[in-house]
Amino acid sequence: MIRAGGAGGGAGGGAGSGVSRFRTIVTVIRAGLRSNFGLATVKHRLFKEKKDRWLVWLIAASFLGVAPLFYGIAVTIQKVYGVLKPMGQEWALLSLGFLAGQFLILIFGVYYIISAFYFSRDLELLIPLPLRPSEVMAGKFAVVVVNEWLTVAAVVLPVVVTLGVVSRAGPGYWVNAALVYAALPVIPLAVVSLVVVAMMRVVNVSRKKDALILVGSILLTVLVLGIQIVLGKTAGGGGPETSAEVVAKLFASPDSLLNRIGVFFPPSIWAAKAAAGGFTAKGLANLALLWGVSLGLFAGMVGLAEMLFYRGVIGLGETTEKKRRLTRDEMSRRVTSARRAKAAIFGREWKIMNRTPIFLLNGTLVAVIFPAFFVLMATVSSGGGGRGGGAGVPIALLKAMASANPLIVTLATALFMTVCGSLNGTSSSTFSREGAQFWISRVIPVAPREQAAAKFLHSYLVAALGVVTAGAVAAIFLREKAVHLAAAAGLALAAGVLLTVVGMAIDLARPLLDWTNPQKAIKQNLNVLLAMLADIGILTAAFFGVKALIKARMGTGATLAVLFAALAAVSAASYAALMRFADKRYPTLGSNL
Amino acid sequence: MIELERVSKSYNRGQVKAVDDLTLTVKPGEIFGFLGPNGAGKTTTIKLIVGLLRPDAGRIAVEGHDVVKEPLAAKQVTTYVPDYPAVYERLTGLEYLNFIGDVYGVAKAERLERIQKWLDIFELAAAVTNPIQSYSQGMKQKIVLTAALLPAPRVMVLDEPLVGLDPRSAHQLKEMFRGHCDAGKTLFFSTHIMEVAEKLCDRIGIIHRGKLVACGTMAELKAMDRTEGGQSLEEIFLGVTET
Ligand SMILES: Nc1ncnc2c1ncn2[C@@H]1O[C@H](COP(=O)(O)OP(=O)(O)OP(=O)(O)O)[C@@H](O)[C@H]1O
Ligand SMILES: [Mg+2]
Repeated sequence: MIRAGGAGGGAGGGAGSGVSRFRTIVTVIRAGLRSNFGLATVKHRLFKEKKDRWLVWLIAASFLGVAPLFYGIAVTIQKVYGVLKPMGQEWALLSLGFLAGQFLILIFGVYYIISAFYFSRDLELLIPLPLRPSEVMAGKFAVVVVNEWLTVAAVVLPVVVTLGVVSRAGPGYWVNAALVYAALPVIPLAVVSLVVVAMMRVVNVSRKKDALILVGSILLTVLVLGIQIVLGKTAGGGGPETSAEVVAKLFASPDSLLNRIGVFFPPSIWAAKAAAGGFTAKGLANLALLWGVSLGLFAGMVGLAEMLFYRGVIGLGETTEKKRRLTRDEMSRRVTSARRAKAAIFGREWKIMNRTPIFLLNGTLVAVIFPAFFVLMATVSSGGGGRGGGAGVPIALLKAMASANPLIVTLATALFMTVCGSLNGTSSSTFSREGAQFWISRVIPVAPREQAAAKFLHSYLVAALGVVTAGAVAAIFLREKAVHLAAAAGLALAAGVLLTVVGMAIDLARPLLDWTNPQKAIKQNLNVLLAMLADIGILTAAFFGVKALIKARMGTGATLAVLFAALAAVSAASYAALMRFADKRYPTLGSNL
Repeated sequence: MIELERVSKSYNRGQVKAVDDLTLTVKPGEIFGFLGPNGAGKTTTIKLIVGLLRPDAGRIAVEGHDVVKEPLAAKQVTTYVPDYPAVYERLTGLEYLNFIGDVYGVAKAERLERIQKWLDIFELAAAVTNPIQSYSQGMKQKIVLTAALLPAPRVMVLDEPLVGLDPRSAHQLKEMFRGHCDAGKTLFFSTHIMEVAEKLCDRIGIIHRGKLVACGTMAELKAMDRTEGGQSLEEIFLGVTET
């Protein structure tokens, strides 16, 4: 039986009993996971071809490099735990951890869901198969869930593990925490899916789909964030209160702080209580609540998918521009006069990046989303403060710090700017993004170093954008002084050169050119992860360098000057090396496309 | 002018010898047709000429420029049409043509004239402001051809350019081949269509298992063939590529 796409309504009884339907779903999910995480290829490359062996070492080394960072986090958590425990508020940290994780999922979920549901190429293969729309979507959903487990691990696991160890938790904690972790992405993702599926149904009938998808996903993200903030504010109860009263209220009863934080996204309360409660009635009840709501939303999503999913998917690739001959005049205007090759290549990079939603979302937009996430978390962890337009407790704290130690402020701001601008996939997918079209770059009469320079310019512009957005956040929310901002921007721009070069070099060393689905080039590209690890390593090295300078009792100005000079020198050298590398590497790439 | 001198190329660390000691010269003003069974080494040879692959041994020069030692000079005078038209899906046809015009340094006046001419001939004028994503396979191929013609290169290298074109476009393309070479330029293309090679080419080369087994004008090929019925190119081809 052939089920017409989008026939919907779950009409066809279809192929067989519940058991075999379940089996099909499992098969679809398994196929999805396999093709998305490419374990087979990884295994093959590692054990059969013995190609990527060095990668294992590199990744191991970078985890070692990141280890001090996690150690620092663990120590901090332990200290805060010590402070909160006597007040009966120790589990508030847990809800903060889960909340941060779920926020991340909400924010990135919009992109993950859109790309998985609507832009994966295997849809063209899946849709003709005798599967229900909901089954196809469930398969895709599973892939995103697994993706999210990996994404939020760095945020959630340190909190869960440290608290478990510090509080000497019993098996109830660990079992429940694992179950909570498993369910964690489901609620936010299901909520996002519901909205996205509805949105795409509308988008698909319009012209200018790409633009709408982009605007829609940004609006969705903003909406999601906005709702969280409003939730947090209104739950605070009306009436002006002094900050002392607020603080007193926060610590009034056991877990009051936990509840206060969780208000922004109630599932994080259930999650925290489920883990903290262990096998007690309270723990199990919260666990049941979390899983119940998760499954309920999932079921709702599947139901909606049956009706709307295929109508959003099918025909999405059609463009609706009218065919029209240009007049001689129009043609003459649109045929450009000869630009320099570098400018032409920059223009190509720019257009392709901005017109491919997946590229834009995983590249340029990160530079905007990061600062937004920061603002959100800062207002949230203030315990829903922000009343009367004022900023929350952490922001007040940061502000106080800002006036105290200009060196730390400048460095922290520079770090923030660097993270916003450089920790995205723009530079580390710059060659991969060309994919099967790389032959063009190979045959045009433009020196590889010039092509690489144009690509550098494009990636660096994104890094600079991050510096600007982060700078704006620092200026508006932290009211930082202009001198500090300028110094921080100088450092971040210098570091940006180095990090951009490193990202490009990694992608140039092992570009992924044989993709058919643009997601593979950026979202599932190992180079992006490797570059981030390398970036963290570089920043850690810079951190220790600065620490040494401070120990040597250098003045603020001198420390900053030395750091800047060092960064600038390394950046210049690395840029020159990248140019040579491009000349050497290009002739060996993409010949079998 | 294209010169290949004792060129060899193998894949998989020498396990597959795709091109084996190939020597070949295509003179200016010549249309050269490159024939051979599937897997004979045609695409590999073409990729060697345009610099997509490096020869293991031997020397390749285009208009006197060694493609390994002076790649930019060689590329400046060559354009290439691959067997599969992979082009930037997110650019419009016109943006792609402008990009190619920019990187080859084609001045505005020539650019405008050539773009209009070829868009008219290939009936692409109405689609040129749409993203390439929306083109049919044949339209993509025609935009790649237009891009290859845009710099009016001294040398054009095309890998099975007639596959997928409708009869009218194929006809136009063959006319273009003739005009290109009458202007003293060089054209090298691979094909599986015997009549096209027979009618269009000044000289024909047949490659089999990486070796050039026959090369010359139609008359020379006929003279070379010893079997008596071997008068059509098809029969010659079948004769020299046996076993
Ligand atoms: N990237 C590659 N890796 C390994 N072997 C290859 C590669 N490309 C081609 N080959 C091998 O090289 C030989 C020549 O292939 P080539 O593509 O040049 O043939 P062709 O004459 O163009 O064939 P067709 O008429 O099918 O296009 C074949 O044996 C092929 O298997
Ligand atoms: Mg071929």
